[in-house]
Amino acid sequence: MSTRVEMKDVRKAYGDNEVIKGVDLQVQDNEVVVLIGPSGAGKSTVLRMMNGLETTTDGEIYVDGKDIAHAGKNIDQIRENIGMVFQHFNLFPNMSVLGNVTLAPIELGKKSKAEAEKEAKTFLEVVGLTDKADAMPASLSGGQKQRVAIARALAMHPDIMLFDEPTSALDPEMVGDVLGVMRRLAERGMTMVIVTHEMGFAKEVADRVVFFGDGKILEQGTPTQIFDHPQHPRLQTFLKQVLEA
Amino acid sequence: MKRKWLWSTVFASLLIVLGFMLPQQRVQAAEKTYTIGTDVTFAPFEFADKNNKYVGIDIDLMNAIAKTEGFKVDIKPLGFNAAVQALEAGQIDGVIAGMSITKERQEKFSMSDPYYKSGVVMAVAKGAKIQSLKDLRGKKVAVKTGTASADYANSVKAKYGFSTVTFDDSNNVYDNVKTGNAQACFEDKPVMQYAIATSYKNDLELAKNFKMAMANNYGIAVKQSEAATLTKKINAGIKKLKANGQYDKIVRKYLGNGSEASQAKKTAAMQETDRSFMGLLKSNWGTLMSGLGETLWLTIVGIVCATIVGILIGLLGVVPNKFLQGVSTTFIYIFRGLPMMVLALFIYSGVPSLIDQKVPAFIAGVITLTLNEGAYTAAFVKGGISAVDGGQMEAARSLGLPWGKSMRRVILPQGVKIMIPSFVNQFIITLKDTSILSVLGLLELTQTGKIIIARNMEGFKIWAMVALIYLVIITLLTWLSNWVQKKVNA
Repeated sequence: MSTRVEMKDVRKAYGDNEVIKGVDLQVQDNEVVVLIGPSGAGKSTVLRMMNGLETTTDGEIYVDGKDIAHAGKNIDQIRENIGMVFQHFNLFPNMSVLGNVTLAPIELGKKSKAEAEKEAKTFLEVVGLTDKADAMPASLSGGQKQRVAIARALAMHPDIMLFDEPTSALDPEMVGDVLGVMRRLAERGMTMVIVTHEMGFAKEVADRVVFFGDGKILEQGTPTQIFDHPQHPRLQTFLKQVLEA
Repeated sequence: MKRKWLWSTVFASLLIVLGFMLPQQRVQAAEKTYTIGTDVTFAPFEFADKNNKYVGIDIDLMNAIAKTEGFKVDIKPLGFNAAVQALEAGQIDGVIAGMSITKERQEKFSMSDPYYKSGVVMAVAKGAKIQSLKDLRGKKVAVKTGTASADYANSVKAKYGFSTVTFDDSNNVYDNVKTGNAQACFEDKPVMQYAIATSYKNDLELAKNFKMAMANNYGIAVKQSEAATLTKKINAGIKKLKANGQYDKIVRKYLGNGSEASQAKKTAAMQETDRSFMGLLKSNWGTLMSGLGETLWLTIVGIVCATIVGILIGLLGVVPNKFLQGVSTTFIYIFRGLPMMVLALFIYSGVPSLIDQKVPAFIAGVITLTLNEGAYTAAFVKGGISAVDGGQMEAARSLGLPWGKSMRRVILPQGVKIMIPSFVNQFIITLKDTSILSVLGLLELTQTGKIIIARNMEGFKIWAMVALIYLVIITLLTWLSNWVQKKVNA
């Protein structure tokens, strides 16, 4: 098994205010890692560091062996292999669903328009939206938008997929569809890093669960270790709050 | 592909601009033509007659001098201040505009021999009690800037205890007396008699107890470098014309024997016969339309150049590069901060002395519009791009799209939609702002209005016509913009 993501003592500070306080994290090939923790703990920030959307103050980050923090112009090429799914979908409202999915492969010269569109339809099939190819994003529901966003990321054939609270902005009845798609991706062996508050999903799909508190990793382990035998008192309190809610 | 299109547009507009500059320079190189500036509002010395042809004592005299002395003149009605500034900057070769020969002017320019002897008179509201200088204590007197009458007013105002208000246009001077904002005005005698004879018959009269003051001589101002050639020819010409009686003929044509009644008779012959709104509109239609044509031409070229410059500068403002952002911010700060009239005068009269190269008024006007409107455009282009949700750029970059591609395919199409109402607004503002360029003597709609009023003194009716024309065009432009907006949003 090769290492997909490696973070070494990563820190980020705004002036004197350190928000990420030395994070060491590895993600192996085919592994599904779920980041949990209270809001403000730094899990989204750490996730966004993995594709360079967030800068670091100190430490090293390698994705597929490539230095992200000092990538310079190479960042674009590295990002082609890292899919990203956002809480608020961030679909391009000026293009159809098909346009969203085919934009990057066509613009970056990976595929001809015809090839890209043909392939896009197979990705739309994966997320169950074949019939929406010509729809505009504004006409879709939240769950449909998020599934298009996943198809859009898949279109670049990434080695890793990052999910930043993908279901947090959805109505409850839409959550299942999106989690279903993510579950299928995991089953196919996609390497995934997921920030989520869906504990049931984490328990079921994660190979490893990482608990963040106050800008640090406080505990990590298998779902069983984390959810059934939590050690750190902060984790115990957190789980109590989440499960009781 | 898109970038190629953009650059070819920039290139094409540069060619258009250059196209304006070339013919003018070629004409100057091919034949000996002197460019002489003149005022637009100084009847009976210079004014457009009812056929929109420039006439007047100065015009006829200048043409006669040129004919006798064998050179060609291109007489440009620029407005008095603009003409003097253009002469100072070397944009033109001379000015004939009822200019009194003064010490200052003799130092600055090469002044010709006197060609007309004038004097200052005082006019008051018809039937007013004020009829002499002594009656002016505590009152206000209206004068036109830069005239001998203004100098005269300033020289006696302490003694007689009145204050002065100054205007750029004669029409405004008279209207102030008519409406009672000022109690009297000073003006050169033939000019005052002309005004009373046209449309102030029932409003103004010459003050009865005022003896013509400060007899002064009109001369033609020539730029110093032409003193040995042009001034010499002009002096010889004046001498010849006075000797052969042609000079008297020209003066009599406009002033009769010089008395108020005689001049009134001559003046009436040069005026529109129908003074109703429709009558004036009909007789001035051609003139107003040619002014409108110039306004539209300025607007179109201005909008094209300002939009291109504005978009480029606006884009520089969002490029992730501190230096380029600084360039953009500075451009917007300077050109949005400068009043347009100051900018126009600076480019037209200031820059030529710096670069030692004439800047034609039209080019100066277009540059002014480009810089000023371009700065406003840049500001809302920048704002429109910033208004696009930040997640859009993150999503595009996360797919591996470089900054430029993300900007072009994702951010700009959304930003442009946000900007469209601002563009429409800016087009309308540009159209209106062209009126400010009348200070450069450009014969656009506003300047045309001034010129017509200078002849017939019908300020209210003519300005109403000009205002209506602007409104009609702006309405059409708004409709067009709304139509385009609908198409884009569909």
